[in-house]
Amino acid sequence: MVKTIIRIIKSFTLWELFAGLLLTGKYFWKRKFTVQFPEEKTPVSPRFRGLHALRRYPNGEERCIACKLCEAVCPALAITIDSEQRADGSRRTKSYEIDLFKCIYCGMCEEACPVDSIVLTDMSHYHIAERGENILTKEKLLAIGDKYEEQIAAAREEEGRYR
Amino acid sequence: MAKIEIDGKEVETLQGETIIQAADRIGAYIPRFCYHHKLSIAGNCRMCLVEVEKAPKALPACATPVAEGMKVFTKTAKAMEAQKAVMEFLLINHPLDCPICDQGGQCELQDLSMGFGADTSGFIEIKRAVPNPDLGPLIATDMTRCIHCTRCVRFEEEIAGQRELGAMFRGEHMEITTYVKHTVKSELSGNAIDVCPVGALTSKPFRFKARAWELTQTGSIAPHDCLGSNINLGTLRQELLRVTPRENEAINEIWLADRDRFSYVGVHSSERVLLPMIKKNGEWQKVSWQQAFEVALESLQKVLNKSGAESFGALVSPSATCEEHYLLQAFMRGIGSNNIDHRLRQQDFSDQQAAPLMPTLGVNINDIPLQNAILLIGSNIQKDQPIAGLKVRQATLKGTKVFAVNQLDYHFNFKVAEKLIVKPKQMVVALASIAKALSILTNQDHAAKTLFADVVVSAEAKAIAEQLCAAEKATILFGLQACNHSQAGLLRQLAALIAELSGKTLGFLSEGSNAQGAWLAGCVPHRRAGGQLLIKPGLNAAEMFQQQLAAYLLLGIEPELDCADSTQALTALKQAECVIALTAFVTDRMKEYATVILPIATFGETSGTFINITGEWQSFSGVVSPQGEARPAWKVLRVLGNVFQLEGFNYVASEEVLEQLRQIAATKVFSVKKNPLATFAIGPVDDNHLQRITEVPIYSIDSLVRQSEPLQVMQQNEKLTALRVNKHTAEKLHLKAKQMVTVKQVGSLTMPVEIDERVPAGCVLIMGGIKETVPLGAAQGLVEVLG
Ligand code: SF4
Ligand code: SF4
Ligand code: SF4
Ligand code: FES
Repeated sequence: MVKTIIRIIKSFTLWELFAGLLLTGKYFWKRKFTVQFPEEKTPVSPRFRGLHALRRYPNGEERCIACKLCEAVCPALAITIDSEQRADGSRRTKSYEIDLFKCIYCGMCEEACPVDSIVLTDMSHYHIAERGENILTKEKLLAIGDKYEEQIAAAREEEGRYR
Repeated sequence: MAKIEIDGKEVETLQGETIIQAADRIGAYIPRFCYHHKLSIAGNCRMCLVEVEKAPKALPACATPVAEGMKVFTKTAKAMEAQKAVMEFLLINHPLDCPICDQGGQCELQDLSMGFGADTSGFIEIKRAVPNPDLGPLIATDMTRCIHCTRCVRFEEEIAGQRELGAMFRGEHMEITTYVKHTVKSELSGNAIDVCPVGALTSKPFRFKARAWELTQTGSIAPHDCLGSNINLGTLRQELLRVTPRENEAINEIWLADRDRFSYVGVHSSERVLLPMIKKNGEWQKVSWQQAFEVALESLQKVLNKSGAESFGALVSPSATCEEHYLLQAFMRGIGSNNIDHRLRQQDFSDQQAAPLMPTLGVNINDIPLQNAILLIGSNIQKDQPIAGLKVRQATLKGTKVFAVNQLDYHFNFKVAEKLIVKPKQMVVALASIAKALSILTNQDHAAKTLFADVVVSAEAKAIAEQLCAAEKATILFGLQACNHSQAGLLRQLAALIAELSGKTLGFLSEGSNAQGAWLAGCVPHRRAGGQLLIKPGLNAAEMFQQQLAAYLLLGIEPELDCADSTQALTALKQAECVIALTAFVTDRMKEYATVILPIATFGETSGTFINITGEWQSFSGVVSPQGEARPAWKVLRVLGNVFQLEGFNYVASEEVLEQLRQIAATKVFSVKKNPLATFAIGPVDDNHLQRITEVPIYSIDSLVRQSEPLQVMQQNEKLTALRVNKHTAEKLHLKAKQMVTVKQVGSLTMPVEIDERVPAGCVLIMGGIKETVPLGAAQGLVEVLG
């Protein structure tokens, strides 16, 4: 009986409407936390696993020695490597390809690499517009590595403490 | 017959066994490096230490003979501790960079260090480094990785029979190397790669190409000799990258000849034909299969209409598959020609009617080491059939006496007890004298006795006859040089006579990997498939070139290199109106004479069957698709049959062809016409002329090996284009070593003189099967040397 009376009063005084507007009003005056992407960016953890890169040594020599451990460990079979003997007798890749459609960004390849060559950078903002662009070739991977080496090195430095 | 206990399990051991052998038999694993079940025991790595009850220290299982009541423990704390300690020492000087080592993933050290290695090392001193000897184009070395197990040294010495590797210096300075810098020449050298437990010896052509774990292994059959060694083909993403032996105790055990191991490189040769080609107005054009078949039909039909089917002949490689052999003969006979042959290097076909259904070894391959005496007739068994040579060597190590009747004094890797090295023309006399000695010895009143009245029995012949008779088990092996001799028929009859008189078995070694299949499938002019006799035989390989036919069909051969008479073959082919070549590789010479070139699949790309020398049918499948537009030869032949509207060419799988051949082989009655040894003439031995002896170098026997680059590099240093004479002949002709001379046979050629004591006096040795000597002509003939 009492419950019915309260309900009738609430509905005639538009109680719920005002309760809702109160919440709106509260947030209306609060500090905003919307990030204005792409002008603004959220901070990224050094552990973030984004686009891949192949690194070089400071003297410019590519790190990868074509051991194929990353290819073997990749659970998604996203990596394809062709190896050969380079003219100087060293073991190198002839081609190194990662299929971004297959990759699940697990980071196992980075874990497996004995020379810290293949790494996952913190880049996540890229798109694939055409068929074929999903294949990251050796040249592209090295270029990404060259461009972001500083960032990559800094992230590894930071992470190294927990390894 | 002692009873011992291994890890609590009772084992009956065999006489003279060591612990590791008993353990292997019951599947109790003991880690090892230097022990290898096919090699002698060295006991130098100490990885196999096990605990034995009542022994104060751990004992090496590979070198400790079993004793009654012995109790062995392989996994106790004491054994494990010893094994771990050994592993620590092994890893001290071993580089820890498996990711760049080619053995990574198939390395015994890597595997065992997972089980017995520590994850840290107390060794902070500098590791040793060792220079890498250059062992040639087949074996890559990385000697810092060597763990001094000496398996390779023992392999070279015990199995290959060539002391080419050895351990130098001692202790930490020990190095495995060649004593004098040279490439390893053994025809079995590749097996050292397999026995080496680590990455010290690896395959050079395969170097850094792929990891063992990513290769797909498919069983197949080796394509270069009549033993049919079992192999595994390693493929990755539709590319054939490696050939390794597949264990088959009955044939090749665990070994493989280098020729079979490295010939696969030829598959990727730049001379592969990728598209059908036709010659139009003297120009070569790449065309579609459709067009190529049309041109083949048109040009061949023209010849057939004009000069009839008798002027059309087919020559096929003895290494083609049974299916190809069968279809080719069906095609030829469908068209109405019996001119078909696979005996390309043979010169004498006189006894072909008396030939058995197919040449066989007479004994099992594994029975060779059990013989007490072996007589080799015209055979360079070590180079021609390396695995059979290995068995003969195994036999000699057990005390078997080997005798050789040869035209060249081959330096075998086994001991030859008695040898008769004679000029080609005297091979017959040599065999006759052994036969005569046998008939005197056994007191048999053979009709042959009167025939051989003029033959003088030499001391060697007598010795061979005596020892052959005395041997409890003996076999006579008739080799390729005898088979390709200009009096081969007579030689075969004499060999049979020797076998009959001495009561021993006679076996034949045959050319290529499937001469047996060729005989059985009817790739001979006088017999149909299954061996049925033809009333009117066609032309044999030699006659086909002598009579200069109007049209030829070639399957998988380069006649100028693969046939007995190079110049005759070339002239015949050049004058022919139509030459259809089914081939995987095209050479410049082929472009000169061919009309249509149809690209066929080669090794690893086609399915098929080889019948080996003991009559074993071994089928295999293709593991990669043929390159370019090439197709398996059996398919090409099948379509060719359709194009000519022949009956019965409706097969959709090579198995159907095989099934048909099997049925024919099972049902058709085979009969031979034996003709007795009625005539026997010692040909006039012309002493004033130089007799040419031809050898086909081991890496020139067929088009696939000729295309394999590492194998060609192997024989580059052998000075193949040379006139080889012995010192005596050289003096008589006033020749000096290295002097350039002009040699005249059919054509003439300038080449250096090499002094070679293997060559009998009055003869010259000139290699065949190589491009350079093609202008000279027939394999056996008279030559003139102009200073
Ligand atoms: S991140 Fe994972 S899925 Fe992607 S390439 Fe590396 S191993 Fe493969
Ligand atoms: S990226 Fe690293 S793990 Fe992959 S092949 Fe190269 S070196 Fe080996
Ligand atoms: S090279 Fe290989 S097989 Fe030879 S001793 Fe060294 S580790 Fe052993
Ligand atoms: S395996 Fe026994 S000592 Fe090497």
